[in-house]
Amino acid sequence: MPELKVVRAPVAENREVAPGVFLLRLEGRFVAEPGQFFMLRAWERDPLLARPMSVFDLSPQALAFLYAVRGRGTALLANLRLGDQVKLWGPLGQGWKRVPGRIALVGGGMGLAPLLWTAKQFGSPLDVYLGFRHRPWMVEVFRSLADHVHVRSEVGAPGCTQGLVTEAFSPRGYAACYACGPKPLLLELHRMCQEAEVPLYVSLEERMACGVGACLGCTVWTRSGPKRVCSDGPVFPAAEVFFDALP
Amino acid sequence: MPSLEVQIGSLRLKNPVMAAAGTFGFGQEYREFFDISALGAICAKTVTLRARTGNPPPRLWETPCGLLNSIGLENPGIETFLKEELPKMRKLGTVIVASIWGEEPGDYGALAAAVDKADVEAIELNVSCPNVPGKGFVGAQAGFTADVVRSARAATTKPLWVKLAPEGEVLAAALAAQEAGAQALCIANTFRAMAIDISTGRPVFANVLAGLSGPAIKPLALRWVYELFPRVEVPLIASGGITTWQDAVEFIMAGARAVQVGTGNFVDPLCTLTMVEGLKKFLEERNLECWEVIRGCAHRR
Ligand SMILES: Cc1cc2nc3c(=O)[nH]c(=O)nc-3n(C[C@H](O)[C@H](O)[C@H](O)COP(=O)(O)OP(=O)(O)OC[C@H]3O[C@@H](n4cnc5c(N)ncnc54)[C@H](O)[C@@H]3O)c2cc1C
Ligand SMILES: Cc1cc2nc3c(=O)[nH]c(=O)nc-3n(C[C@H](O)[C@H](O)[C@H](O)COP(=O)(O)O)c2cc1C
Ligand code: FES
Repeated sequence: MPELKVVRAPVAENREVAPGVFLLRLEGRFVAEPGQFFMLRAWERDPLLARPMSVFDLSPQALAFLYAVRGRGTALLANLRLGDQVKLWGPLGQGWKRVPGRIALVGGGMGLAPLLWTAKQFGSPLDVYLGFRHRPWMVEVFRSLADHVHVRSEVGAPGCTQGLVTEAFSPRGYAACYACGPKPLLLELHRMCQEAEVPLYVSLEERMACGVGACLGCTVWTRSGPKRVCSDGPVFPAAEVFFDALP
Repeated sequence: MPSLEVQIGSLRLKNPVMAAAGTFGFGQEYREFFDISALGAICAKTVTLRARTGNPPPRLWETPCGLLNSIGLENPGIETFLKEELPKMRKLGTVIVASIWGEEPGDYGALAAAVDKADVEAIELNVSCPNVPGKGFVGAQAGFTADVVRSARAATTKPLWVKLAPEGEVLAAALAAQEAGAQALCIANTFRAMAIDISTGRPVFANVLAGLSGPAIKPLALRWVYELFPRVEVPLIASGGITTWQDAVEFIMAGARAVQVGTGNFVDPLCTLTMVEGLKKFLEERNLECWEVIRGCAHRR
């Protein structure tokens, strides 16, 4: 029996929460596991493809995404007004599973998008590490969910320690770590976690067309052969996907 | 009640809407969205003699109203397809078309022989994939196409369809395929095209060339269907930028017997289902008994 629906949902909120970063809340009853994503479109034929977006937050009445304006698609999303319709399908992909014990969630920039719903679902004992280039944003919502929230700004910002998120982070003592962000960050975390022998799960991004596993356009190479980011991932054990990354 | 049915050679389809090879996997992904038995047929991902891992990423690039892909025929190989994927496909409740690709004409014979014993209704010979590295693919070739069809024809009694490239010796290859025993022609696969990443100044794809699909190619594919229709006898199956029922009607009016939807599935997972419903309404509202009334009507003077 079909289980996935293509739906239209009205915009309940679309607000710029940091320069170029928007929070989009859509009305409706949705379900999603932490780390899963939806395909979204708010236009007819152009751009041609829908855009993959991680679940940022979920409530019984609404589903929220946090997105950065990058190109045409996300610029169109940023123009959405209250009541406009967004077409979407999901939840898609394999999210992350909670490992018992103390865990760390690490996000670099937009990489924090999938971490809020994850923190809410996973619960304590849990620490959050967030890295930003400039001024931090969206940090407050994590405070009540995590035991500790560590924040770093690469170039420095008022009230925020300057530095890389990896300087604030050590995998020691964690049962597992979960990370999303730019590739160099994920690789460095992988190196640290390998050394400490702590499992690391990373959420990857690839260009997508179908988003459901049918086109084989989003393939990444893994230890066990080619895998689809959209349906075998986006979450993978770092050791599976970065197997050739360490010297 | 109008009939949506169409006849492709010896095969009867409940309606003219099919899923195109390589865009619908082995049917399992879209089963999550709708009851696939609503479709006229589905073409499986192209399979080869041995498993292929395909091309390195990136494999996709969006263009204005189009999509460039360089998948490179990633597939589990014929054996795994027949053993693991086909039984699941059979449960979808519609006609299953196997798609095969080989380096040499003999490969098509070997693949067709393997499929001959399997439970599929037809075999589509993919002689038009632009994304297989190192082969110097140059579009449709009449001689090669004839050899491929002959090799497959000798190995199976199943209906053979030939999927042509939209460039090269298109007409000659179409006639050669028909002559060698093809029951239908699928026109067409993707167009060879490319993109350059201006941030690196390099071609986006490792192979440089990739295949262009989507609405951007619809008028180009339509032209081929229109040009081939008066020149060939076997049924034409249209492929290229078909995403709405109106597109499908246009291709039928140009002479197509059926249509395949590829990129449209990515635009909306329910694309094919909506198309079938739209076509049904179209026949009802126009009070048309069947497709024959309008097929090729664009040629009438
Ligand atoms: C599983 C997954 C989850 C994601 N979650 C989020 C999120 O929560 N918040 C967020 O801001 N962004 C997220 N992204 C990235 C987001 O999808 C892209 O930034 C977005 O598609 C860019 O579209 P555009 O039209 O603005 O840019 P364009 O550059 O115009 O896009 C052109 C094409 O490239 C693709 N593309 C461009 N950048 C990326 C990218 N980084 N990853 C994948 N495809 C890309 C687009 O989808 C489109 O097909 C996610 C990506 C994936 C794969
Ligand atoms: C991602 C992708 C993968 C494809 N894989 C195959 C394939 O394996 N075999 C094949 O014959 N055609 C393949 N095609 C071509 C399509 O079946 C179709 O003929 C072409 O995309 C034009 O139709 P469209 O514009 O509706 O997509 C592929 C197309 C795309 C976009
Ligand atoms: S985007 Fe199509 S398989 Fe992943």
